[in-house]
Amino acid sequence: MKKLMFVLVVASLLLAACGGGAKPAAEEGPVEITFTMWGAPEELAVWQAVVDDFHKANPNISVKVDVSDWDSYWTKLNTLIAGGTPPDVFAMDAPLFLDWQSRGALLNLQPYIDANPGFLDGIYPQTLTAYKTADGYYGLPRDFQTIVLFYNKDMFDAAGVDYPTADWTYDDMLAAAKKLTLDTNNDGKVEQYGFWSDTWDMELLWSEAIWAYGGEIISPDHSKTLIGEGGARDAWAYIDSLYKEGVMPTPTTSGEFGLDLFQSGMAAMTTIGHWAVPGYVQSGINFDVAPMPKGPAGQATSVNSAGFVISKDSKHADAAFEFIKFALGEAGQTKLAQLGFAIPVLKSVAESDAYLKQPGELNQKVFLDSVAFARTKPVFKGYEEWAGVVGDGLIPVFDGEAELNATLDELIVAADEVLAANK
Amino acid sequence: MDYGLKPLGREKLWLWLMLAPTIIGLLFGTIGSLLATLGLSLFNWDLINPPKWAGAENYVQLFQNKDYIEAFANTLKFSALYVPGVVIISLLLAVLLNRKIRGVGFFRTVYFLPTVTSAVATALVWNMIYGKETGILNFALETLGFAPVCWLCSDNAMMSVVIVNIWGAIGEGMIIFLAGLTAIPRDYYEAASLDGANDVQQFFRVTLPLVTPSIFFQTLIAAINAFQAYDYIYMLTRRGQGDSSVPVAVYSIYRNAFHFFRMGDASAQAIQLALLVAVFMAIMFWWERRYVVYE
Repeated sequence: MKKLMFVLVVASLLLAACGGGAKPAAEEGPVEITFTMWGAPEELAVWQAVVDDFHKANPNISVKVDVSDWDSYWTKLNTLIAGGTPPDVFAMDAPLFLDWQSRGALLNLQPYIDANPGFLDGIYPQTLTAYKTADGYYGLPRDFQTIVLFYNKDMFDAAGVDYPTADWTYDDMLAAAKKLTLDTNNDGKVEQYGFWSDTWDMELLWSEAIWAYGGEIISPDHSKTLIGEGGARDAWAYIDSLYKEGVMPTPTTSGEFGLDLFQSGMAAMTTIGHWAVPGYVQSGINFDVAPMPKGPAGQATSVNSAGFVISKDSKHADAAFEFIKFALGEAGQTKLAQLGFAIPVLKSVAESDAYLKQPGELNQKVFLDSVAFARTKPVFKGYEEWAGVVGDGLIPVFDGEAELNATLDELIVAADEVLAANK
Repeated sequence: MDYGLKPLGREKLWLWLMLAPTIIGLLFGTIGSLLATLGLSLFNWDLINPPKWAGAENYVQLFQNKDYIEAFANTLKFSALYVPGVVIISLLLAVLLNRKIRGVGFFRTVYFLPTVTSAVATALVWNMIYGKETGILNFALETLGFAPVCWLCSDNAMMSVVIVNIWGAIGEGMIIFLAGLTAIPRDYYEAASLDGANDVQQFFRVTLPLVTPSIFFQTLIAAINAFQAYDYIYMLTRRGQGDSSVPVAVYSIYRNAFHFFRMGDASAQAIQLALLVAVFMAIMFWWERRYVVYE
């Protein structure tokens, strides 16, 4: 019996660990590469168009695109990789990049980039840093997001409040939010909130606020969590005041009003990226955008990108890179700009009509101009676990069950432990 | 003891053939993954690179991992509230619905419905019931003049989740107890009432001792379910970054395995949970020998 158990254990481990070993010889004849990404079903059509154009330019390579929603995407990816059948090219969220790169799942793209001099020249440099490691790039950005302030024009008009300007401070935002928080039927409950944002992820509000108040998020060597030092505490006190003043529903109650309160017409302002635009347009909200407010240390926003990576075990790495090259080129980026979910990483396309003249009357330039004071969303190993400790750990504070500073002190210790464990 | 007929000749072949799908499934699915988990718990594996030998390291770390200790404590706390809740409430319900009352079939169906409804769907409904601003529960409280309660905030989340889980489980418990109750011969009650026992006395002196086999079985099932409880908890308490306000052991296993890529840690946690269930079962079987009455 013992022997049988041993054989079974070994067999199951081998089954899981092996597979997909053989390396290909030189590539000849037509090849098919697979590209897996997360996204909405309507994105598939645009990607298919990009892929078709690519195939026309490179008749020897065809690309099979596979789109899943965010949650199933990562599960699927893990399964494919663990099973030894990774996709050749797959989409990467910049903050999670190092978690994947450090596990050795990704191919070093530096040799390919070196073989294509000038290839990265037209790309926004803030979007590139996330994928750079000591021995070169293991991924490349495909499109990016800056966070800006969205406001509902109808609600501002009705309350007689002036639209946000590029010179707004965080205090101006709070003052306007107070005027826009309304109990329209006098039942003692708020029907319209002045502001709404998700505060569990740093990207939407708290990283910007911390930078604008002169704080930092993490030390450059990724060993220390800095969200409790200097200006950062003031930023947290500000965010806490948005909840305490009642201009924003608490994290646990906000779900009762829909996933996105700006979209459901419950909130007059929000801070979010370009990916929200198609949904807002569809909901028929009359809105525009302004840059993030200023803090005592100036203005700041966050740049985050979605990118391409090539699997280390890809059998068609050359073909896979050709596809990335095409998608990052003028033609590919112009097509992708039509998606309307993000900003193209190629500067010439972002500044062209393909991006600036999208349907709707939105001031698209605000997203681009924000790059001038944007910082890259931090990328480090153990990001997901760290973000869980910090982002979710503050929910009891914002729900009004715990004290801000004491909770922060506790969280920072736990967050530093995560960083130490991921060294 | 032998019951019924033994399979003859060719029947034996068919017997095995018919049982094969289940047996193969058990062998590879259940026993296979159990052994694989046991094996993996001795390695460090990130799903991509080959597993590295870790020996007992993952088990030692269980006792140092604050998050896991919290999750484990939550599982114990949850079980301590859930198991008695399910057993007592479903027993009382079964006693009530074992009478000849009008529309008893309707009531039995109503209480059984949660068992056959998708947990994800009902959890969404419970989310609306528990809502602080718009929930129906707080609406009732406020109408009666009480202050609204944040049911799903950290302070109350455990209690709220236990209530939903009990609600979801009493239907199944009720069926088991109903079966146990119908097996009690009527004459025992007649004899008891002739001797002057009232309803309460009859319940404690006749019903309770005679349903101990059902109580034993139901406690066992409820405990196993409690240690594995996950779906309602995930749906009601999940936070934005994937943490939970009531992180339980299964939650921790899932996150470690599929979000933090620590299959070894997750497997060690799973094995520890399985051991806990085994210890609990041993206690239950000891209790069975002493207190359970079989006719």
